[in-house]
Amino acid sequence: MKFDSVEQILTFAIGKEQEAADFYTDLAGKMEGKQMREAFLEFAAEELGHKKKLEAVVEGKVLLSSEERVVDLKIGESLTEVDAKPDMGFQEALMVAIQNETNAYTLYKNLAVATDDSGLKDLFLGLAQEEAKHKLRFEVEYDDFVHQEN
Amino acid sequence: MTENTEKLPPKERMKIPRQSMPEQEPNVRNSNFQEVPLGLTEEQALLEANRCIECKKAPCIPGCPVEVDIPGFIRLVMDKEYAAAARKIKETNALPAVCGRVCPQEEQCEMVCTLSKKFKPVAVGYLERFVADYERENDLVQLPEIAPPTGKKVAIVGSGPAGLTVAGDLVKLGHKITVFEALHKPGGVLVYGIPEFRLPKHIVQAECDVLAEMGVEFQNSTVVGKMDTIDELFEMGYDSVFIGTGAGLPNFMGVPGENLIGIYSANEYLTRSNLMRAYDFPNNDTPIIEGKNIAVLGGGNTAMDAVRTGLRLGADNAYIVYRRSEAEMPARAEEIHHAMDEGVQFHLLTTPIKFNGNGDGKVTSMECMQMELGEPDDSGRRRPVPIEGSNFIMEVDLVVVAIGNSSNPLIPQTTPGLDTNRWGNITVDEETMETSRKGVFAGGDIVTGGATVILAAGAGKKAARAMHAFMMNEVASQV
Repeated sequence: MKFDSVEQILTFAIGKEQEAADFYTDLAGKMEGKQMREAFLEFAAEELGHKKKLEAVVEGKVLLSSEERVVDLKIGESLTEVDAKPDMGFQEALMVAIQNETNAYTLYKNLAVATDDSGLKDLFLGLAQEEAKHKLRFEVEYDDFVHQEN
Repeated sequence: MTENTEKLPPKERMKIPRQSMPEQEPNVRNSNFQEVPLGLTEEQALLEANRCIECKKAPCIPGCPVEVDIPGFIRLVMDKEYAAAARKIKETNALPAVCGRVCPQEEQCEMVCTLSKKFKPVAVGYLERFVADYERENDLVQLPEIAPPTGKKVAIVGSGPAGLTVAGDLVKLGHKITVFEALHKPGGVLVYGIPEFRLPKHIVQAECDVLAEMGVEFQNSTVVGKMDTIDELFEMGYDSVFIGTGAGLPNFMGVPGENLIGIYSANEYLTRSNLMRAYDFPNNDTPIIEGKNIAVLGGGNTAMDAVRTGLRLGADNAYIVYRRSEAEMPARAEEIHHAMDEGVQFHLLTTPIKFNGNGDGKVTSMECMQMELGEPDDSGRRRPVPIEGSNFIMEVDLVVVAIGNSSNPLIPQTTPGLDTNRWGNITVDEETMETSRKGVFAGGDIVTGGATVILAAGAGKKAARAMHAFMMNEVASQV
């Protein structure tokens, strides 16, 4: 994967957010229970929110910061992989989401390491920070819901 | 010893020290399953009751989730009217012997006790237990008056504290009550979850026996949602249904190796030991893995129950492994101290990230990481963050996962139109406890997620009032 410009990177990142939104919308359609359908549609809406933010970056309305410190609970790093299935519960839904956000975070971190261009590196780190925030949002919910007494 | 302190002025009453409940010595009790606290003596109960300064505001009453008339029952203790004191409590709380043992009074009535501003609060829980035990042990339990039959039939699904409360309140009003219990004995979490050393089973059985004498029919070993659905209960002629099936679905961490042999959920481990009496071998032959090095994951009351059970079943090392620090532990301070006194070893700010097993698929160790706590976030909760490179191996041959529970999914899955939230809890009107299905009410942990006995009982009270109104309005509309 090679990128030469800020625009290329942002176009790629916007595409990834849309992909994620489509993934959750598709999953919502496969769920047996109303609550899981709604949860995945909510996740999809959040991804579209992220996409909108990146579009605002393209338009110069918003700046991404690579400096911002985002807490990493690292819950995702020790979770087993789960396959999405129609009768999944909310814990598994969160595991799927954490998995996706962890993958996206790792992707941008790796891309940042792989480039020598300091401008592009900053952008990748900024995108990684964005994904770290999304990951944290799901990990906090996992902490509250799964680790109620832990 | 006993002196009449009835006329002591408040200042004198405040000089009476809070009474300590006698209990089994730690090195004795950690190898038996008998109850740990032994209850106040009569002399102690009188002294403790006389510590109550009978303040005008009585903040203890709103401090109780079901608003027991605490000063009223304590006054009766002072007058040595112990059975009357128990009956006073039962006006709003059907389970005083249970709540006197397991209610977190230190976070409720005792926390707001006027005395606690300068002194230790009145030991409301100890007194509650004393009067309830006195009434039961002296055969002074009186059956309440039962109203003439209404001709209405109520199905109660689940016989935990919420279900038992609904049963008690509605049978008094003349309704015909059937309680459906999935296990072979009634009591729900009170019998499968809480160990004998904290809540003896005969106390719960006595409460159920009283309900049976009042006319409540218990149908045990009946799994509603599998054998009959809620809709089928209506077809069978029930006019209203209460769902109190609790939070019986254990949460697991979701880390690798969690399905190895020797890793139990707390529900399974405690059910085997408590309800199935695995501890009582050879009188009962329930299989249970008796680990020598047992790790219990979590910091709630369930975790304390499990780890203390492990000790009693013969563990050489019984560990609590908890991701946060002692300050964040949800267990009652009393239970944490009981566990510590008995020799439980606490590994705080520690989490397993992987379980390792041998060739037979049995757990042999867990890879753990040390954690540090971040600043409280917007919710106020401090989040544990693993410390890079802090990994270490803990040798274990039994792990009990006690990190939390989710609502039992069986009935929501088999009842069309019954709304739940995303965590699987049934959603209700908070005033009436009515669900999205007409005539179907719910309360207790199935609605709130894992909570306290008294909150479940409080929900049962609300539901009973609403169910009665629902059924009687139907009668009125048919006239």
